Amino acid sequence: MTINRRTILKAGAAAAALPLLGSRAFAQGEPLKVGFMLIGTPNDNGWNFGHAQGAKFMKDTLGELVAEPTIVENVPEGPDCERVLRELAQSGHKLIFATSFGYGDYVIKVAQQFPDVKFEHATGYQRSDNVATYNARFHEGRAVCGTIAGHLSKTGKAGYIGSFPIPEVVMGINSFVLAARKINPAFEITPVYISTWNDPAKEADAARAMIDQGIDIIAQHTDGPAALQVAEERGIVGGFGQGADMSAFAPKAQLTSIIDHWGPTYVQSAQAVIDGNWASADRWPGLKEGEVQIGPYNESIPADVVAAAEAVKNGQIDGSFNIFTGPINDHTGAEKVPAGVTLTDAELLSMDWYVEGVNPPA
Amino acid sequence: MQFRLEKRLEPSRLMLYATPIAAVLLTMVIGAVIFSLIGYDGIGAVREIFFTPLTNAFKWQDLGVKAAPLIIIGVGLSIAYRANVWNIGAEGQYVMGGLAATWVALSTYGMSGWWILPLMMLAGVIGGAAYAAIPALLKTRLGVNEILTSLMLTYASVQLVYYLVRAPWKDPMGMGFPQTRIFSEAARLPTIIPGTIVHMGVPIAVAVALIAWFVMSRSVFGYQMKVVGAAPHAARYGGFSENKTIWLAMLVSGGLAGMAGMLEVAGPFQRMVPGFPTNYGFTAIIVAFLGRLNPLGVIFAGIVMAITFVGGEVAQTSIGLSSSATGVFQAMMLFFLLAGDILVRYRIKRVAPAAEARA
Repeated sequence: MTINRRTILKAGAAAAALPLLGSRAFAQGEPLKVGFMLIGTPNDNGWNFGHAQGAKFMKDTLGELVAEPTIVENVPEGPDCERVLRELAQSGHKLIFATSFGYGDYVIKVAQQFPDVKFEHATGYQRSDNVATYNARFHEGRAVCGTIAGHLSKTGKAGYIGSFPIPEVVMGINSFVLAARKINPAFEITPVYISTWNDPAKEADAARAMIDQGIDIIAQHTDGPAALQVAEERGIVGGFGQGADMSAFAPKAQLTSIIDHWGPTYVQSAQAVIDGNWASADRWPGLKEGEVQIGPYNESIPADVVAAAEAVKNGQIDGSFNIFTGPINDHTGAEKVPAGVTLTDAELLSMDWYVEGVNPPA
Repeated sequence: MQFRLEKRLEPSRLMLYATPIAAVLLTMVIGAVIFSLIGYDGIGAVREIFFTPLTNAFKWQDLGVKAAPLIIIGVGLSIAYRANVWNIGAEGQYVMGGLAATWVALSTYGMSGWWILPLMMLAGVIGGAAYAAIPALLKTRLGVNEILTSLMLTYASVQLVYYLVRAPWKDPMGMGFPQTRIFSEAARLPTIIPGTIVHMGVPIAVAVALIAWFVMSRSVFGYQMKVVGAAPHAARYGGFSENKTIWLAMLVSGGLAGMAGMLEVAGPFQRMVPGFPTNYGFTAIIVAFLGRLNPLGVIFAGIVMAITFVGGEVAQTSIGLSSSATGVFQAMMLFFLLAGDILVRYRIKRVAPAAEARA
C-alpha cells in the first residue's frame, strides 16, 4: 500500500469540504490548522512515513474539525528549521509537531515568540508552557527483535546502524542486545553511527561493511529501508523494519518490523487544542497503548521463535516483563543494575552506557 | 528560415547584464509550465517561491540572514574564478572557519569581553584560508588540479566536525547528543534590529561585497586577478606571477568562506552541530556565476537564491509543493544562465535560405 502526501491531501480536501454542508458548531469557528515538520520525506517508508500516516489518521478521525494537515519535509536540524517553525506559526497553524530530535532548541525559541501556538516535539526532552514532548517506547519493540536475533543468528554477531549516540538510540541498542543475550549469551554487536537520520547511501555502505565483517543480522535506527535492502541482496539471515513495515523492500530479509502508530496521539493532541484544554506534558506510550506495534513475522521464522517473540511482546504489554530489569552488566562486565531492580524512565532517558555484548563504537 | 550564431567582435555588455535577469524570468515561466503539467499549481508555485518572500515583510529578516553567507562566500569565489582559479571547496573552508571560531568560543567559554567576537572572526578567516592553502600548495608545487583537491577536502572537513562534536567538544549537558554547548553571550553575534533575527553578518556581507568591488575595480590586485584569468600569457609577460595569483585567489576565497562560517556559527547556530555544513559553499558557486563574478552582482544573486530557499518553504506550507521543487528551480536558473552566456559572445543571426545555399 502506498499512501503519499497527495492522497492525504485529497482525502483532506474532501473532508474539508464537509463543513460547507454541515451545521456543527466549532469551538474556534474554523478547522484547526495542524503543521508537521519532517526531517525527511514521507516516502522514506520509515520514520517520516510513520508521521505522515499519523497526520492522515488524525485528519480521517477528526474530519472537519481539522484542516488538511500541512507537512513540511526535508527540514534540516539547524537554523533553517527555526524559519519553518515561524512560517507555520505565522500562517495560522495552532498546533505544530516537530518530529526530529535536533529541532529541540529551535522549538523552544520559536514557542516563546508564539505563546498561543502549541508545539509538540517528538523524542525531545525540553518543555515549556506551550511545548510538549512525546515519544514512543521503541525499545520495547527492540526487545522483540533482539529475541528473534538471538534465536536466528548463526554467527552470534549482529550489526546495528545508529544515527547519533543519544539516549533514545543507545536505549534501543541495549534493549536489543539484552534480549538477544537471554537466548545466546555470546551474542554481540558493534554499532556504527552515521551522523544522519536519513542517507540511504551511507546506510547501505555501513550495512555492506558490517556484513563483510561477519554479521548475519542487521538492525538500524535510521529512517529508511536501505540496510534491509542490502540484507536482502546479500542473503544474510535478515533484519528488522524500523518505523514502518518495510517488507515490500526486503520480503525475505525483513524478519519483522517495529511500527510506529502516531495517529492516536495526534488525534488526542488536536482534540485537546480544539477543546481548549491542551497542557504541556511528556507522553511516552509503547506496546501496551498500541503506539508501538510489531509487524507480521516473516514466514521463514520457526514457530517456536515466533512464540518466544510473542511472549516477550505480551509480557511487555501486560507488564510482567521489562527488558531493563537487572541483573544488567555494562560493556566492561561490571554490574550496572542489580538483580530485581528496574531502570526508571528518567534513567532510561539519560542512558549513556552500553550493556555487556556491545562493543562501544569509537 | 534558419538561424546562425555569429561571434561578436566584443562581448556584449547588454547581454552580460541581461542574461542573468532573463535566466530568472525564464526559470519562472518554464517552472510554472512544468509544475502545471505534472499536476501542481504552477503559477502558485512561482508566486509563492519568488514573490511571497518579497511581499511578506516577516520574511525579509529570513532573506537577509540566508543571503549573508551566500554573498560573503560568493564574493570570494567570484574573485578566484575571475583569476581562473577553480575553488570548488568553499563548503569545506566555510566549515573550517566555523570550527576555528568554535574553538575560540569554547576556549573563552564563560568569559566576557568585546574582544571575543573579533578574535573568533580572525580565527574563522585564518581557518578558512589555511584550509584553502592546501589545494593552493598542491597546485603550485605539484600541479594538482585544485578542483579535485578542494572538493575532496570538503568531505574531510565534515568528518572533522563529526569527530569534534562527538568526542572532545561534546556538550556535557547535551544528553549525549553530538553538539557543543551553546556559546556564552560574548561569543554570540548580536542582532542589530531588535525583535528580528537579523544579525551583524548581514551588514558585514554588504560591506564585504562593496570593498571587494572597490578592490577589484580600482587596485593592482584586482587588475592582476582579472588579467591572469583573462590572458595568462599577457599576464606573464607583464610580470604577474601565476603562482602568486593562485595563492591570492585561494587565500581570499578561503578566508571569506571561513568568515561566513564564523558568522553562521556565532549567529544563527550559536553552537557547533553535525548539521552545520548546509551546502552554503556549493550554493555560493551558483551565486557567484549568477552575479556575473562581480561583487555587486553577487549581492543581488545572493538575495535571489535566498528568495528561492525561503519561498520554497512557503510553497510547502501554503500549496503543498514538494521540497525538491526548490532544487529544481535553482538548477533551472543556473542552467538558463549558462545557456544564455553564449549570447554574450555570440549574436543570433537570421540566415536567409538563399544565403545559406550560397554559403
